[in-house]
Order: sequence, then C-alpha cells, then structure tokens
Amino acid sequence: MREPMYEKDLTAMKYAILESRRHDGMVREIAADIGVPQLRMRRYLMDRFDMLLLENLPARYEQGKKMREGSPEPERALGSHLYTRAVPIIDEGTMGQILEGVREMVRKGIPLDQAVNSGKERMRKEITA
Amino acid sequence: MTKRTVDVSIPVGPVHPCWKEPARVKCETRGEFVLSAEVELGYMKKGIERIMRGRPWQEVMFLAERVCGICSVIHNMVFIEALEKISAIPVPERAALLRVIVNELDRMQSHILANFSYCYTIEHETLGMYLLDTRERVMDELERITGARVTCAYIVPGGVRFDLRPEDALHLRAGMDALERDITRYMGMFEHGPLIALRSRGIGILTREAAREACAVGPTARASGIPDIDRRLRHPTYQKLGFAPVSREEGDNFARIMVRFQEVLQSIALIRKCLDTLPEGPIRGGGIPGAGEIAYSGEAPRGELSYFIKTDEAGRVVEISIQTPSIMNIEACCHYMLKGVASLADVPSTFVSSDPCIACTER
Repeated sequence: MREPMYEKDLTAMKYAILESRRHDGMVREIAADIGVPQLRMRRYLMDRFDMLLLENLPARYEQGKKMREGSPEPERALGSHLYTRAVPIIDEGTMGQILEGVREMVRKGIPLDQAVNSGKERMRKEITA
Repeated sequence: MTKRTVDVSIPVGPVHPCWKEPARVKCETRGEFVLSAEVELGYMKKGIERIMRGRPWQEVMFLAERVCGICSVIHNMVFIEALEKISAIPVPERAALLRVIVNELDRMQSHILANFSYCYTIEHETLGMYLLDTRERVMDELERITGARVTCAYIVPGGVRFDLRPEDALHLRAGMDALERDITRYMGMFEHGPLIALRSRGIGILTREAAREACAVGPTARASGIPDIDRRLRHPTYQKLGFAPVSREEGDNFARIMVRFQEVLQSIALIRKCLDTLPEGPIRGGGIPGAGEIAYSGEAPRGELSYFIKTDEAGRVVEISIQTPSIMNIEACCHYMLKGVASLADVPSTFVSSDPCIACTER
C-alpha cells in the first residue's frame, strides 16, 4: 500500500526539540518531581504532544511553576494545575480523581506527604502505562 | 438520500498560497467546524543554536540576525544587549536612541508585512498592495540609516555602527509624516470595511485566560487584553521615552490586526520623540564582552524574544538558547484560536492573523 506523502514519522524531530538545553532541564525536573525515568518521560511527551507544544513547553512550564507556588495543598504538592494545564501530561478528569483520593486520605488522618506520594504513584502509572 | 456530516482530518500546508513559510496544520473537522488542530514543523530547520555554540561573539552577532529575516534588528539588539549586561558595557545616550529608532523601523515594517499578509489572505488585495508599498518606504528609511534593508548588523557592543546624518534625520522626519498619513487612512479602511469585518470580527478568538495559559506574547496577547506583557516597559531607553503599550479587548482576528496598525502609529511617535531628544555625542563607547551567563529579553515585533547565553573569557559563546515569540503565538493560534473556528475557510486567515514566523520557530 502506498503511504501518504506527508505522513512522516516525527520522532527524530521531536527528540531534537527535547534535546535543547532548556527542554532537557525541564524534562529532568518533571521526571524527578513525578519519579519516572527521564527517557520514559521524553517518550511520553513525544507521543502526547505535537511539535509546537513541545517547542513551547519550557515557557509553559516556567509559568506553571510560578502558579504552583501560589496554590493551596495538596494541589501545590501534586502540581495539579502545572500537569493538567501548563504541561498537560495528565487529563483533568484523572487529576481530579487523584486530588479527590489524596484529600480523602488526608481526611482519614493519613499524613499529607504520604497521601501526596500515593497520588504521585497514580500519576506515574498514568505516564508509564 | 440523507446527507451526513462526517469527521475529516484536513491538512493545510505545508505549502499554502497565503503562507510566507512552510508549516503543516492538521485540522480535525466535523463538516466545516474545526474541532482541533495540530502542527507539524521541520520543513526549514536551521539548527542555528548549534551553529552558534563555540563561536566568538563577533560571529554569533551575525548569526543571530539570521534567525529571522523579518525581525533581524531585534535579534541583533537582544544578543548585543545581553553581552553588554554580562560585561557591564555602557551605551552612550545618542546610540541608545538610535537603537530605538532602528528597532521601531524594523517593528513597523514587520507589522505592515503581517497586515499585508492578512489582507491578502482575506482577499482584500487592494489594501494589501497599499501596505506593501508603504513597507517599502519604511525599508528605504532603514537602508538610509543602516546601509542595509535586512540583516543590518547596526548594533554593536557599546553603541551603534553608524551615526544619523542631519540630512537623514530630515528625510526620516518627512517620511514619518507621510507614513502616518497613509497608515491612518489604511487603518480607517480596515476598521470600517464591511467585508473585512465579516471575515475578521468574532473569528479566531483568543481569550485572556487562554492567552495566559499558552504564554502568548506581543500583539497576539495585547489584542486579548494583556498590555503588561510588553518588554519595552522594562527597557530603560523606552522608559525614558514614556512608552505605554497598546491593547485591545476583543481577542479576535480584527483586534490583532488593529493592534499592529496602532503600534505602527505608536512607533512613528516614538521615532519622532527620539529625533526631538537626540543629544549630540559619541555613538560608540567601546567595551569588550567577557565571561558570564545571562537570560535577557527584548520586545520583538511579534513579542518577547529571549536569549539565554553563557560566554567564556574570550567572549566565545559556550551555551545559547533562543526563545522566539512565534513559538508561543503559533501554539496559542493552533491550540486555542483554531479550535472551534466555525468554517475551515477561516483557518488560513486566523493562522496568518497571529503573524506566524516559521523561521523564528525553527531557528
């Protein structure tokens, strides 16, 4: 079967975008925050975003980080706005469920750190699934 | 037979008669309605950041201008001003004002070209051709001062390359009077044209929240009611000139074009003010760039342009990263403005209204 003329594999070009200094720094920070390997995070970003959103990610990430600092717990610890709107790696519905789960755990008396860790575990599963 | 509305993926570009540069916008549509759009780049990647790395600043300043042919002056200016900040190189006042004059001429020609592209896209070729003619006159003024129409290499560390001769100042003043007359007339044609309004008002809306989320900059953000995004507000020379940004609230194609028209008139006023206050004195103060690291931004015609630079003792560029405004603006366009556009026919005009520069994006 003949392949469409312009439907190309963009993996190499997307990887080239993520290799830049600012992108690389951003990927490292996100991977460390959520707790997934950097290579897995790069792959996930390349699969999920188009080239232009990838190009714009450092600017969005910087702005999202500023907003994260001003938000209440547990939204700040999970980076709910950062990872759903600024760097949309988690769907808003899924993040809503994660947040609700964390709040429920806190209500039951589980320490915030522990509850947030379980929320991040759920985020890791979403990314590595 | 019952007619059905089906979902179709329609590619626009990479080669399109209304686009200045190649990019491919893939639109997911339901009938005429655009559900979403995504962009494919890679048709003109230069890899200029990698070429710059390891080279002396004397070479990189010429490369910086070649990131974009339309707004080359601001790339030159931001790179040189970043070097000046690193090494604390002072700039004489006359040179600082001459930089503003050249930068504003560059902004004028870029805005007029963007508005020409838009008029051409919505099939108002008459206004488009008027605008192109006007742009030529701005380019002539730029050539008269700097000796070149594009890639002028006018700004150097500690000053500018050439002084403004008295006869050129007179010519520039007369040129600004004529340009103001013409641009005011064209702006009126655009503002009151019923067919232009039909193709422009209420189309490709970018809300203030969406503009903030996509980090939109420049006229694209200012047309959505975000005036404080203008980097000129933080530039000392512009502060002395009493600069105040232009903004509108509509956030549609019409507002983006009108903001550019208003900014052309604002640039004329700034150039006049510079000519009125231009002091006598040197245009080059000297100074040699040395080692350091900085993130420095300036206001390009399309918005905030940022350079992240690290240099060594010899002024060699060790690390460099360039964030051009088109990256943010095209992203805002494709993921927010185009989403929900009622007719596929409005896709090219909405795309062009954000003044996309693919050369900048694929630096």
